[in-house]
Amino acid sequence: MSLPATTPRARAEAPGVHARRLWSLRPRSDRQSGDAIVSNFLLHWFPAKVERSSLDWSYSFWLGTVSAALLLLLVLSGGPLLFLYVPSVERAYGSVKDIEYAITFGSWIRAVHRFAAHLMVAAVFLHLVRVFLTGAYKNGVGQGQHREWNWVIGVVMLLLTLFLSFTGYLLPWDQLAFWAVTVGTNIASSIPWIGPSIRELLIGGRGIDQPTLIRFYALHVIVLPAALGALFAYHMWRVRKDGGLARADRASVLPAPVASPASTTKTYALLGVARGTSPAVRTTTLEAADATVNAVPDLTRRTAIVVLGTFAVLSIMAALMRSPLEEAANALVTPNPAKAPWYFLWLQEIVTDTTIRLGTFTINGAFLGGVLLPGVLVGLLTAWPWIDRSPGAAAGSWFPRTRRAQNLVFLGVVAVVLILTLVGTFMRGPYWHLYWPWETWPEIPTRL
Amino acid sequence: MGEPQNRRDFLLTLGTGAGIAALGYQGAASLRSLVPNVSYDAPTTVKVGLPAEFPDGLKFLPDQRLFIFREGTVFHAISAVCTHLGCTVRAEALSNPEARTVDGKALRLTHRFLCPCHGSKYTGDGGNVSGPAPRPLAWYHLSLASDDGQLVVDLANEVGHDFRLTTA
Repeated sequence: MSLPATTPRARAEAPGVHARRLWSLRPRSDRQSGDAIVSNFLLHWFPAKVERSSLDWSYSFWLGTVSAALLLLLVLSGGPLLFLYVPSVERAYGSVKDIEYAITFGSWIRAVHRFAAHLMVAAVFLHLVRVFLTGAYKNGVGQGQHREWNWVIGVVMLLLTLFLSFTGYLLPWDQLAFWAVTVGTNIASSIPWIGPSIRELLIGGRGIDQPTLIRFYALHVIVLPAALGALFAYHMWRVRKDGGLARADRASVLPAPVASPASTTKTYALLGVARGTSPAVRTTTLEAADATVNAVPDLTRRTAIVVLGTFAVLSIMAALMRSPLEEAANALVTPNPAKAPWYFLWLQEIVTDTTIRLGTFTINGAFLGGVLLPGVLVGLLTAWPWIDRSPGAAAGSWFPRTRRAQNLVFLGVVAVVLILTLVGTFMRGPYWHLYWPWETWPEIPTRL
Repeated sequence: MGEPQNRRDFLLTLGTGAGIAALGYQGAASLRSLVPNVSYDAPTTVKVGLPAEFPDGLKFLPDQRLFIFREGTVFHAISAVCTHLGCTVRAEALSNPEARTVDGKALRLTHRFLCPCHGSKYTGDGGNVSGPAPRPLAWYHLSLASDDGQLVVDLANEVGHDFRLTTA
């Protein structure tokens, strides 16, 4: 038995020995693209080969990647803000004002952070809508898939995103912040029996004050980002374990029949294999050679385009648009009308409309619209993979016939949420009166 | 229970159990520390000024989020905190003040209250008439301080709508 050859090239091809110290963006062989994955932490997310169709722009719209890019941007822009913001009732508003008006590039950094937060809520929500409509929480042909759990993780991540936005919303300690927290924590306290204790735990006392600010600050910069980061890592790992996007399963479930050349010496029909002499051979591997591409560079290039594109769009938005800062928090005067951020306006609308009176008995809309209804919606979302009885083959394509009814119901709920948001945004004036957008709104009566 | 455990399994169960108990107690202690034992609230009994300083009609006290009504020598106080979700309601003067009997006592309603957050409406005596508010606005107990004769409001003492303080 001879020793392994010692020429550089031969050494490079030996198992476990890698030709290049750094990974290549232009791999010349499967081995090199595999090396790129193994030796690079970022690329460890990706398999060496990915289903070509799952890279389609029009299948996933890359909304998950956009959300991840926005999260990265939020962490990056949050860094400098940690140094500049002071979480104290006396100084918070002033420090945000300094960030906005006195610090070089401060207003841009704050705008990046703020717009990224808003866009992330939108992107994560649209990502959820996409995953639902394509039935991508369903398991396909792969071994050991648990897409339903990744969906549940995703729902939790949406809630964390909303809660992160909400906690960040309080930090400038302006009027918007103060009243949003007043209303938000009063919704929590409307839960029967345990509500008041939950509110006290959230705000650290009976009134909204320094303990409240420091609690929401700690939640915003440590607790929630850590939780979101951990779940994000698991979310991505799960995607990998489940064989990539649901689209990949679909491609292997429904492959194009590949005809093999007919043999002149055998009659397949007699063997009962196929009719005629040209049997169609169905391939069912997830890695059919013509349906897959190397992750490097096909997947990495597109990921880079999406991430850098998101960065660019946001950077330009932040440079062109100002982020608002209302008057300093004033516990004495509620702004008129006091509106929630746009992604909670539908809830504000529901909270307004769901107070139920039965004779002398009244159920507060705060509980019905603020806790019960959102709770039911979240519960339904979480349980949906187990309620959904459509066949696995319906996963990974837009609007399949077998899921038409549930997609329509889901779209109906989404439409109601959007309509309520629009009503809250454009049709609610002073004292939360309804106005048509084209009506002239009355002057707000002078403050007392 | 099945077969008797051997020493190794027993110690493993014991160790795991002890670990879980330790983590559980430490976690519970950390969570418990977040529930305040002391709340440095503002005092609930506040002197708000001499009766003579109040105008006839309504005066809003922002610090207490309170409306003080005066009609000659008769006073009453209504909370400005909306019973729906805690926003501060605004008072709007009625063009035609309305004389009404509230809980068996005569009352001149000069205002109504509107909430800017979710559109709740209250009558001049704090009754919730439309919008999502589930309860009427709270009425608070008023008295006169024995030392300097100032009006004292007790924010921890809710009273009925028939409460009036008549000063000499």
